Amino acid sequence: MIRAPLSTTSVLDETSDAVALAAAPWAAVLVLTSLPWRFLQVLFVDQLIELGGNAAHYGRALGSTANAATIAFIVSLIGRAIYARAINLAAASGRRPGTEAFRVPRAALATYLFTGSLVAVLFYATWFTIIGIPLTIMVSGLAIGTMPLNDRAGIVAPLKRIGRFAREAKTLTALTFVFLVALAVAMVNLLAAFGIGLWLVHGFGGIDISRWEALLDFGTRRFDLLLIAGGIIAVEPFWIAANVILVRKAGAEESGEELRLWFRELAGR
Amino acid sequence: MATATTRWCVHHPQRAAFALCMTCTRTICQECATQWDGIYHCAPCLAKQRTGVVARSPVGGWLALIVFTAILLFVTARLMVWSGALIAGLF
Repeated sequence: MIRAPLSTTSVLDETSDAVALAAAPWAAVLVLTSLPWRFLQVLFVDQLIELGGNAAHYGRALGSTANAATIAFIVSLIGRAIYARAINLAAASGRRPGTEAFRVPRAALATYLFTGSLVAVLFYATWFTIIGIPLTIMVSGLAIGTMPLNDRAGIVAPLKRIGRFAREAKTLTALTFVFLVALAVAMVNLLAAFGIGLWLVHGFGGIDISRWEALLDFGTRRFDLLLIAGGIIAVEPFWIAANVILVRKAGAEESGEELRLWFRELAGR
Repeated sequence: MATATTRWCVHHPQRAAFALCMTCTRTICQECATQWDGIYHCAPCLAKQRTGVVARSPVGGWLALIVFTAILLFVTARLMVWSGALIAGLF
């Protein structure tokens, strides 16, 4: 399914095709496995904001939420691995992937749990620097993109592989920017969907929604946090697919496949 | 594209490259390339992998992977609390 040389637009173009093939039901698997983690992240941040300056005194309460979030994070990594395999199979065959998407090779899954955990540590160690957030998003994308290439258990080879594909920094940066914009658009859409839903319930159902209006109002802390989580969940399937396609295309660029495309293009003129 | 003339199969120097073996990263022709799980491998690397599975079990790799992942997950939960409390303390 590799049709054009590596560029941000070609990655996004092929991503939409691959997602269309793999979305049902594999995006649902991804969303279902991500939901507990995102909800626990929202709960954790909500607790932090609630406690404010006293947060340091409530280490045990925050720790139990963090432990639960970490367990949910492992589940979400497994969901991501299954979805990435489904996208890889769809991109390779041009067909809808079957149940073979569940059969993620053990070595690939284990190395992804390792690289995913490493990225999580990097994220929590650097998130307050702001620049750390887009950087860890890029490394996290490469971790899931290179996952299908890890055929042996080890800790050095997967990191080397991530480093090898990090050379596509320009495309990676552009993709990260595109998905950050997409996240903002997804959040606006979700907000609009809730607004329309409330309006319909009130207008046609005649139900008193004053309580719900207060809860689902932009500016209500918990609703805002859930909106961010919902936006991430909506964008995640496309972001994972884009990274898998990026790694596939970067690999094709190193091989003769890109040359064959070039010759075909020349012959067509 | 300047390197177009240098892309040949490592096993058949007269043939143009078709794919890149994802194990040894060498260019290979259509005959040498085998797609497995959507990834291209050359015949020697596939054979090496097959004998490798039988001959030696990568216990060291698995052990390192499990230990490091467990440590990283433990650190993730702790860092979440520490960095969160640090930021919350600033406001």
